[in-house]
Order: sequence, then C-alpha cells, then structure tokens
Amino acid sequence: MRKITIYLSLLLSLALIATACVSDSEETTTTTAATASPDTTQPDTPDTPDTTQPDTPDTTEGTIAPAGPVLIGSIHPLTGGLAGAGNRMDNGARMAVEEINAAGGIASLGGAPLELVSADSTGAAEVGQSEAERLIGDGVSAIIGTYQSAVTTLVAAIAERDGVPLVIDVAVADSILDQGYTNVFRIQPNATSMGASGAQFLSELAGDEIKTVAYLHDDTGFGVSVADAFEAAAADYGIEVTARIPYPPFEVTDLTTEMSQAAAVSPDVIVITGYYNDGLLAARAATDLEVDVKAVIGIAQGAFHTPQFVADFGASAELFFNSNYHFNASDPVVQGILERFEAAYGEPMDTEAMLSYQAIHVIADALERAGSSDPADVRAALAETNLADHFMAYPGPIAFDETGENISAQPVLMQVVDGAVQQVYPLDLRETDPVFPGTAWSNN
Amino acid sequence: MRGRLRQAAWAVLAILVAVILTQSTWWDTNQTVFAQALVSGLLIGGVYALVAMGLSLVFGVLDIINFAHGALMTIAIYASYLLFDNYGIDPYVSLLITIPLLFVIGVGIQRFAINPVMDAPIHNQLLLTLGIAIVIENLALVLFTGTPRSIELAYARNEFDLGLFTLDFPIKVFGAVVSLPKLIAFMVALLLGGAIYVLIHRTQLGAAIRAAAQEPEGAEMVGIDVRRIYTITFGIGAACVGAAGALVMPFLFVSPTAGATFNIIAFIVVVLGGMGSIPGAVVGGLVIGLTQEMTQIFVPGSSKLLGVFVIFLAVLLFRPQGLFGKVQR
Repeated sequence: MRKITIYLSLLLSLALIATACVSDSEETTTTTAATASPDTTQPDTPDTPDTTQPDTPDTTEGTIAPAGPVLIGSIHPLTGGLAGAGNRMDNGARMAVEEINAAGGIASLGGAPLELVSADSTGAAEVGQSEAERLIGDGVSAIIGTYQSAVTTLVAAIAERDGVPLVIDVAVADSILDQGYTNVFRIQPNATSMGASGAQFLSELAGDEIKTVAYLHDDTGFGVSVADAFEAAAADYGIEVTARIPYPPFEVTDLTTEMSQAAAVSPDVIVITGYYNDGLLAARAATDLEVDVKAVIGIAQGAFHTPQFVADFGASAELFFNSNYHFNASDPVVQGILERFEAAYGEPMDTEAMLSYQAIHVIADALERAGSSDPADVRAALAETNLADHFMAYPGPIAFDETGENISAQPVLMQVVDGAVQQVYPLDLRETDPVFPGTAWSNN
Repeated sequence: MRGRLRQAAWAVLAILVAVILTQSTWWDTNQTVFAQALVSGLLIGGVYALVAMGLSLVFGVLDIINFAHGALMTIAIYASYLLFDNYGIDPYVSLLITIPLLFVIGVGIQRFAINPVMDAPIHNQLLLTLGIAIVIENLALVLFTGTPRSIELAYARNEFDLGLFTLDFPIKVFGAVVSLPKLIAFMVALLLGGAIYVLIHRTQLGAAIRAAAQEPEGAEMVGIDVRRIYTITFGIGAACVGAAGALVMPFLFVSPTAGATFNIIAFIVVVLGGMGSIPGAVVGGLVIGLTQEMTQIFVPGSSKLLGVFVIFLAVLLFRPQGLFGKVQR
C-alpha cells in the first residue's frame, strides 16, 4: 500500500513538473488566451474604471506640481532557465529609468520621476498573466516585456482588456499582434520579418550558392514561427528547407544527434533558431562534428550575436552568422550605454537588454508628449510615436502601424569575425566584409 | 527475473532490426545519424546512471524521494566552474573537491533537515526536499545571476599520443563523433558506479547500510546506529551528483537550473532500474540515454522525452518493481 502511494505521488509530481515545462509551449497558451479573452471582456468592464480611478487624481495633480512617480511595469523571466536574459533585460530597463530620473524626470509632468515595478514571469505564461494583473492593480501607466512569445500572448490579452499599453521589447510571434489589439506595441521585428530578412540575407550573401537548408529550431512558438516564416520566404529566393529538426530548448543537454541529423541531408548551410543555452550546445555539436556545410547561420538565434558567446566559446565561435535584432553598434551614444551598463551590472549588455532600455525610452517619450500618466493618454501618445534618436540598427525612426508593429524594425546579419560580433548586412550598417563560405573548422 | 530481462532485451533488439531492415533506404542515408544517436545516448546514459545511483541509494535506504537531487548537482556544477574560473583548477581535478563537498552538504541536509522528519508521512519529506531544491536554485540565482556560463577545455580538441596509437579528439567512430569531455564523463561515471557497488556490497559500512535498508529495527538491535547510517547514505547519494556535476560541467552550461534537467531523468532511471538497485541504475541510465536519442531520430517532431515517458509508463504497468527490483511482499 505504501509503495503504491509512493509511485502515485512520484507520478503526480512528475506530471506536475511536466505540465510546468509544457506551459512554455505556444499551443497551451493560445488555447488559454482564446478562452480567456472573450470571457473576460464582458465581466471585467466594471473593473476597468476601478483601476483607472486612482490614476486620475494623480495626473491632475501632476500638471500642477511635481507629482508622485509614474509607475512602469516590467515583466521578464527573472528566475528559471531564462533568468540570465530576463535579469539583464530588467537591468536595462532599470538603468533607463534611473538615467531619465537623473536627467530631471518627465518635464511635461512637472519633472515626475519614473518608477520601475519589476515582476517575474518565471518563464511561465500563466504566471506572467497574473503578474500583469497585479501590476495593473498597482496602477502602472504602461508595461514592458516579456522575452517569450507564449508569455507575451497572455500579457497582451490582459493589457488590452484593462486598457494599459504594453510595449513589447522582445517577443517574436506574429500572432500576438494579429488580434486587432490597440494597446500593444512591438519594438523588435516580428517572426515574418525575421524569417523573410533571414532568407534575403542568405541570398545576398551567397547569390545562388545556397540552394538547400537544414533547419534546427526550438519547438516552442518562437522557433516554429520563425522557421515557418523563413521556409515561406526562402522559397522566393530558390532556397529549399530540406530538413527541419525541432528540439525542446529547456530539456536538452546535448544536440550532437540533432546536428548529425541536419548534416545527414547534406545541406548547403545549417540554420538555427533558439535560445542561448541550446544555441551554445548546437554550436558545440557543429564544431565537434565539423559539419560539412558552407556556413552555420542563426536566425533570431539567442546566442551567436552576443559578446558572451564569443567569451564562452572562444576561437570556436569564429565565423558563426546570426540574423537578429541588434543595437546600432556604430552609434557613440549606444557605445556609451553599453559602457555604463557593463560598469553598473558587471556583464556586457546584449541586444535584449538594449531593447528593454529602448522600451522605457519609447514610453518616456510618449509620457512627455501626453503630459499625462493616464494609461489611455499614454496609449494614444504611443500610437503617434515617431522616435528618430533611438538605439537600434533600424533604417528609420521607431513608429507603430495600426497593428502596433514598429514599421522600421528589421534584423541585421552579423558574423563573428576576428573574435568580435560584427555587422555584415545590410550594406549601410556593415562593419566588416562577411567570410563566406566559412566555418571555423573548414577555414583552418 | 533474468529470463524476463533477456526476453525484453530480445524484443527491443528484434524491433530495432525490423525497423532498420524495412527502411533500408533510410539506413543508407542515416547510418551516421544512427551511430551518433547510439554514441550520444550511451555517453550521456553513463552520467544518468551516476545521478540515478545517488537517488536510488537514498530511496532504497531512507525511503525518501529526494527532489533536491538535481539542485545538489547544480551546487557541484557551480563549485567546479568557480574552481576552474578563479583558480584554474581542471574540472577533473575538481572532482577531488566536489565529491567531498557534496558529501558534507548531503550529511548536513540529512542531519539537520531530514532526520527530524524521518517519521513524518512521506509527503512531508517530499515537500521538504522540494523546498531545499527551490532554496538552492534561488540562492544560486542571487549569488551568480541567471546568466549561463560555460567553459571550453583547452585540450578537448587535441591529439593525444598514447604510445601505440594517437587519439585525435573529437574522435570519430563510424562517422559518429565522440568528444573528450563526454567520454571522460562516461568512463569516470561508470568507474565511480563500480566503486559504490563495491562499497555497498563488499564493505562493513555497506553491510550496515543494507541492513538499515532492509530491517531498520533489526539493524538497530544488533548495534547499528541507523540514524547515522541514514546520514552517511544521504551523503553518499549527494556525493554521486558531486561527481556528476563536475563531470558534465565541461560539456554543458552552468546555470541555476542546469542540474534540475537531470532530476526528472534520474527518477525515471530509478523506476526503470528498480528502487535501490545499483546495477539497475546503470542499466536504466544507459537504456534511458539510448531511448532519448532514438526517440529523436525515429519519432521526429516529438520531445526527446516522449520515448522515455513511454518506457516509464510501461515499467509502471508491467514491471512496477523495475528491471532489477525485488517484488514487494
């Protein structure tokens, strides 16, 4: 009897852990979101005035005398497998807030300071959702986040329901903004743009030398949506995806078998989409196997464009490509931000943290123009955003179309050359000539 | 029991051969992939075996399901990393430090946290170990941030002149690549597994541990301090992940959740091999390692753990005592 209880409890705990892991995947979240959003709009309408009520006196006060701080929510995975990126992003946002306050706060609100309210999504969509509800209950004027598409999907539904603007720093899935939301804005390029630009860069890089691609991608909504977009766009350039190998990004301890599957179809290049840890494992597997391809290219890959990857992987990091969002590395203002971040937090700033830093500046800009901290006014001002002096490697100013996508967002193709991540495409952002065909093991 | 094991092995082999023969075109293009899955599965299986051994020992002797096992492994991973990063100590030399360190930590946990609740219902102990795991993981997060780190061994891609022949790492076996850190991890894990087997079955301490496991009251009567044996056993269990953590560090990454990945696998290995059985943990570890990689190549698009969970369910249904477990009264 005792043994049965043991097995049962073991099984139940395993099930519990398993569901916790599964919750990262897009599938579960979309269904919850679908059931949540229609349900919630109706009964929650009486709630909405409640939450906006405490804000209103604030704003009227604000126009007269220096008001209390303007609260901005920040939701990122501060614990769990993605805690590294999550904490850097939170730090990026925090640094932006501190700098804006030091420079005198929001002038149009009588110098009101910003206050960052950090929340931990733990990487789980439903936790992110309840944290969003908590932040809105605290009276935030806007929210930034959340690094994961699955989490962002639910947070966006809450933001829309309660009429508090959400500025997405990082989250790639197109579907987040396909719902006709009016309160959600995205600074980074979406999956379609990532995939399409990736395909375009490949053809620009190699002419018609690349005909076949083996695609290794994480099996969450992130990897699947980018790989789908790439496959569709690549066909226009005569590039065929001959093998797709999905893998669970938070469970893998080794990707050698997966990499040998990719190499088995003898592709011209291997393309990888995923997060940092799995990217490192993939790079290691490719190096161990010395895969016989013209290049290994990340698309929206979380590792190959980071200074940390070069530090971790040393000389073996050489010649890996990554097509991803990137800060404007040649801008002296950006270089200053990078230096201050490293001095303050003891680690190099990556683009994800820069996007969070950027998101705070986008909101500050909107607050300045709105002259109000009321979420509805901030939303209206965000929709009118036309921010030219931003920190990203984008061809134009940050401005949002009617769906909330940043019309200027585009990725940059980067390559590790001479021990540093350098921009190689588009041409006007080029820091060095790309090495193609090339891998660290074939060019030795 | 031997008969059944043999039957099961033949059945698995027959299915594998059948699959390969019926898909011979598949075989032509994918022999290297198959060889790679075999090699990767076996190598990581050795590490699973070592991790599961510690868990199995603690369960077999103390009747405690230790959910902090993976978190203890995280401690070892960080210890090994910090020793390398700050003092340049080779990860394999750091085994000499991580194994005793984790033994001491394990002894401390058992003595001050678990011994007081040994007589409480099993779910209390389960929640306690789960709590310890959460504390360790978040402590690591506070102390070292969530930023994953990793190292590259300078000699991992190197030629070794062994007199008779030279080994150029990473070496290739039938097109499959064997990296040096994984090979070392596999061999040391099995060596340590053998050492633990000897410790349990050939020494006086081992006899006392087995006595405390089988008949605590009886053991107490012949003068064995059962509480002390429990403490030592938990220490040995923790020492297993002390070794495993240092062994995986060079080819994995260092993060607060790095060890937790091994936790769930270790549970399945223990159930498969039989609670408390050391040979069971070894066979289970290798089988699960292979299953995981085979799932990856034969069931495309699924999680690697799918095949592992199928085996887990099958074992619970058809052989709940595990491959090497004894049938309960």
